[in-house]
Amino acid sequence: MENHKLVACMLDMGEILLTSGAEVNRIEDTLARIGAAYHFQRVDVFTITASIVLTVHTADGEIITQTRRIKGAQVDMERIDKVNYLSRKICEKEPAVKYIENEIREIKNITGYPEWLIGIAYFCVAGAFAVFFGGDIMDGAAAGIAAVVLRVMLRIGQRIRMNALFLNMMCSAVVGIVVMVLTRIGIGHSVDEIVIGNVMLLIPGVALTTSLRDIIGGDIISGLLEMTEAILKAAAIAMGFAVLLLPL
Amino acid sequence: MGHETLPMMTYVIQVLTGTIGSIGFSILFNIKGYKIAVGAVGGAVSWIVYLISFYRTDDVVTSMLISTMVVAALAETCARICKTPVVILLVPMLIPLIPGRDLYYTMQHLVFGRMDRAAFYLQLVLKEAGAIAFGIILLTFVTQFLQKTVHYFENKKKIIKHKIN
Repeated sequence: MENHKLVACMLDMGEILLTSGAEVNRIEDTLARIGAAYHFQRVDVFTITASIVLTVHTADGEIITQTRRIKGAQVDMERIDKVNYLSRKICEKEPAVKYIENEIREIKNITGYPEWLIGIAYFCVAGAFAVFFGGDIMDGAAAGIAAVVLRVMLRIGQRIRMNALFLNMMCSAVVGIVVMVLTRIGIGHSVDEIVIGNVMLLIPGVALTTSLRDIIGGDIISGLLEMTEAILKAAAIAMGFAVLLLPL
Repeated sequence: MGHETLPMMTYVIQVLTGTIGSIGFSILFNIKGYKIAVGAVGGAVSWIVYLISFYRTDDVVTSMLISTMVVAALAETCARICKTPVVILLVPMLIPLIPGRDLYYTMQHLVFGRMDRAAFYLQLVLKEAGAIAFGIILLTFVTQFLQKTVHYFENKKKIIKHKIN
């Protein structure tokens, strides 16, 4: 029974890593290391973006298989860091299962930054990139204002559990309209730069890079899944911003 | 593309705003404490290296590859010092290199029906993202190789000592 619980804990750790945006490689590596620390004869991990399958042969000849369906993803580096720290500790000390369960519960309770700070971060990122790509300071301000609207929209969409693709499309459309209104009333003038600042917040650039990394590194299935998701998302954003081209 | 003669100030502003972008994304990715500072410095370094190598090579994709490799080396080193996973430090460092503008232009030309220009920007986006991914992978393998080599020789030394004793 203890071993069954341990395998469940290992899957918990894998799940946290996968939903927080770690590479497939890291997850398989972490689980294999923990297995080795508890003297399992053999550890087989198969991870794709949507599920983890884990089979272990324990020291006393028992074979345990568990699977986990993974849903949803929210990049959260603090969790990756904490799970990494926990796995280091497990490999050093081989603690009791109870201890690992408690630690995992604590990691799951980690909260992000407060909402107002995230709003400011949205403002700064969009503003900074509008200037970065050649806008002036007023373009930056306009991009920042549009980004705050974008954040509010995203929160509402997530609260009512809207389909992710449709949410992205709608958010980009709203941002497009806000940018259009702002430039009409004289805040900022180059629409392209203002929009690009906001595109930087929405585009799955990190996901695209991670997917290519997985593919080159040999995890072709996960890489293709992630890449398809990234391309669909980019297409949805593009369709949303097409509202800017309407003759208004 | 050819050399554009922009005033020095433009580059300074680009490095500054790129750094602000890195810090902002660090907050969105829930990175805590001193790691934000490491990511911010890396973000500045990535754009400075990109600018220098663009000045020398006059090629966007090559510059991105070089810049990614430098930054990935920096991230691998810092990760070993701080004992944290490499991704945490690397992702914010790469933020200024993300080809957001070219992705936007691809979409814009596509919607306007200017297929030749859309195709041009699309291949540029794919090459840039590919260069970043390839740079990271290359550095990962180089570090693994170095680590294994060092490990191998340390083990050998131990065995020799054991034999002498």
